[in-house]
Amino acid sequence: MTQNNKYSIEVHHLTKHYKGLSAVDNISFTVEKGEVFALLGPNGAGKTTTVEILNTIRTPTSGKVMLLGMDVTEKKYDIIPRIGVLPQGFSSFDRITVKETLQYYSRLFCCRKPDIDGLMALVNLKDKAAVQYKNLSGGLKQRLGIAVALVNDPEIVFLDEPTTGLDPLARRAMWEVLLDLKKKGKTLFLTTHYMEEAELLADTVAIVKKGKITAMDSPGELIENNAHHLVVMLKSVDETVFDIVEKMGFAPDYDSHGHITVRLTHTDDVRRLLNAVRDGGASFTGLDVRKPNLEEVFLKLTDDTFLKSVAGIEEAP
Amino acid sequence: MNLRIIHANIIRANIIVSIKSFYREKTVVFFRIAFPVILILVFGTIFMERDNEIFELSIQDLDRSMSSEQLVAALDQSERFNITPVSPDADAKQYARDNHLNLIVIIPENFEMSLMKKMAADPFETPVTLTKVYDPGAFGVTTKIGVLDMALAKINQEMSGKPPLIVSEPVSILKKKYRFIEFFVPGIIAMAVMTASLFGSVNVNAELLQKGVIRKLSTTPITRIDWILSNVLYQFILAVVSTAVMLLVSYAVFKVSLEINAWLVVFVALDVFAFVGLGMILTRVAREAESASAAADALMFPMMFLSGTFFPVEMMPEFLQTFARILPLYYVNEGLRAAMIAVDHTAALKSALIIGAFAAVVFVLGIMTTRIGGETP
Repeated sequence: MTQNNKYSIEVHHLTKHYKGLSAVDNISFTVEKGEVFALLGPNGAGKTTTVEILNTIRTPTSGKVMLLGMDVTEKKYDIIPRIGVLPQGFSSFDRITVKETLQYYSRLFCCRKPDIDGLMALVNLKDKAAVQYKNLSGGLKQRLGIAVALVNDPEIVFLDEPTTGLDPLARRAMWEVLLDLKKKGKTLFLTTHYMEEAELLADTVAIVKKGKITAMDSPGELIENNAHHLVVMLKSVDETVFDIVEKMGFAPDYDSHGHITVRLTHTDDVRRLLNAVRDGGASFTGLDVRKPNLEEVFLKLTDDTFLKSVAGIEEAP
Repeated sequence: MNLRIIHANIIRANIIVSIKSFYREKTVVFFRIAFPVILILVFGTIFMERDNEIFELSIQDLDRSMSSEQLVAALDQSERFNITPVSPDADAKQYARDNHLNLIVIIPENFEMSLMKKMAADPFETPVTLTKVYDPGAFGVTTKIGVLDMALAKINQEMSGKPPLIVSEPVSILKKKYRFIEFFVPGIIAMAVMTASLFGSVNVNAELLQKGVIRKLSTTPITRIDWILSNVLYQFILAVVSTAVMLLVSYAVFKVSLEINAWLVVFVALDVFAFVGLGMILTRVAREAESASAAADALMFPMMFLSGTFFPVEMMPEFLQTFARILPLYYVNEGLRAAMIAVDHTAALKSALIIGAFAAVVFVLGIMTTRIGGETP
C-alpha cells in the first residue's frame, strides 16, 4: 500500500461491456491525492459507467481499479466508508428534512459525532435545516447531495454531473461549494459535460468519447496542445465582409447576431484578413481575437465534423 | 465476502426515516389506520342490525274485528316487526308498488267469524287464510316471510292451547355464539395488514428505485439484508399499531368477544412477511412503479373478495371454494378466526404452517431478487 500512497485512484486498462457493447474501452489514468480530476464527455460517453465502477456499484469486465490502494472488486466494504458519492440525479426521501437527511446518512456510516451543522454551513443550507426534501429547489437538493456525500468525512469525493439541470445561478453556487472542497484538499473526481466547469475546477481533465480517453491534461495544456489556431470574431452588419473572407480561402461562420467567426493558424493571417477587409471597403463595428477555449478543444476532440469547419489548419498532432 | 451483513444502527435509522415519512403523509395515515377502522364501523353497523333485525311489516286489516286486532297485537308482541297499518280501501298490490313495500299481509273480511267457526267446530275444516302480497324481487323478503311464518306458527300453537310436540335446541360447535362482527374483524385485520404490506413494499421500493435513492444507498455501508429487514420491521410495527386500533374500536363500539392470544401476533407477522416478500418480487419483476402497483392490484383484489374476508368462503360455489384454498390470505383469515373466535389451537397451527411455508418461500425469493447496488446482488 505504501507504494501507492501518492495516488487516490489508479485505473488500469478498465473495460466494461454491456451485452456486447463496450461502454468503457480500455481506459487508464491516475488521480493524485488532493487532485481535482474531471471526466469530460458528451452524454453516453461512458462517464457514469466509469464512476460507478470506481464507486464499487458496478463490476468491471476487465482491468484493474484501485482506490486508496485497495481493489474495488475485492474491498467494497473497506472502500465505501472512505469515499463520498454524489450520484447522477441525486434524490432523497421526500418527507425528511435537510437536517434529518444528514443525520440519517451519517447513521448509515456510524459516525459517532457527525458535524451536521458544519456540513449544512459548508453547502449553505443552514437556514433550510427544517425544510423537507421535496420542498427544496433543484439547486438546494444538489447541495444537500454534496453534504450527504461528505457525512463520513471521505478521502475521495465522487461527483457525477453535479450541476446538470441547474440554472446558471445555482450552478455558480455549486461551484463555490466545490471550490471550497478543493481548498480543503479533498480529492475530487468529477464528471461533467460543461467545459467551463472542468476549466474552472479541474487540475486534470480527461476527455472521453465512446468509452475511450481521447485526451488528458490540465485544461491549459489541453488548449495549448490541441488548438493551434486563433479565433477572430468580427462584429459587422456588412455582408461583403463574409465574401471577402471566403475569397481568401478561409471558412467563416456567420451567426444570427451578425457576427463572423474565423479560425486562423498564424498571427500574420489576422493582419492579412483585416487589411483585405479594409481594402475591400467593408466595415465592421467590433473585433475580438482570442485563443480557443476548452469548449472548442472539446468539440474538436469529440466531434469529427468540427475539423471541417476549421479551414487552413492541420489536425493537431 | 463480507460478513457484516446486518447492522442494527442502519436498520434503526431506516425505521426512523420510514416512520417519519409515514406520519408526515396524511393520506397514507388515513388509508393505513383510519380506513380499516371505518370499514369495521360501517359493516359492523350494517350487520349488527341483521343479527337482531326488526322488519317493516304493513298489514291491511279488512275485518277490523277484535280477533284481527288481537292478531296484529300478537305479531307486534313478537318484537320482530315494526307494524304499519294499510287503509282497507287501498288496492294492496298498487299500494305496495307505490310505496316501495316488499310485503303486505291482508287480513280478510270475516276473519273473526271464520276463525270462531274453525275453533268451535270441525278441526278438519279449511284454515283461515291470510294473504301475503309480496315483491319476489326484493332483497331479504324471503327471510322476512320466513320470520312471519314462524311468528304465525307460534300464535297458532298458543291458540290451540297444546304444548308443542317437537322442539329443537341449537348447540354451537363454537364455545359461544358469535356474531357477524366477530367473523368480520379478523378478516379485516388480515386484509388490512396484507394490503399495507404489499403496497407499502411495492410503493416504497419502486419509488426509491426509480428516483435513484437506492442508487445513493448502494454507495453507503447498507446491505441488502439491512434494507429488507428494515422494510419488514417497519411494516410489522405499523401492522401491530393498525391491528391494535382496529381491535380497540371493535371492543369499544361493538363489544366483540374475540380472544387475544399469541396466535394474533404470529399471524400478523406471517401476513407481513408473506406480502412484503411478494411486494419485493413484484418491484423487481415490474421495474416501473406504476406497473408494480398494477400487478399488486391484480393479486390483491381476488384475495380480498375470494378468501373469506367479507363473507364465509362456504357461501361461494364449489370451484371458487377450491380457488380460495390456493390464496394465501385464506389461511391468514382461517388462522385468525380459529385463534380469535373458536380458540382452536390445532386449526390455528395448521393455517400457520401453510401461510408460514408460503411466507418463507416468497421471502427468500424476495431477498434473492432485491438489489441494492446497480448490478447483481
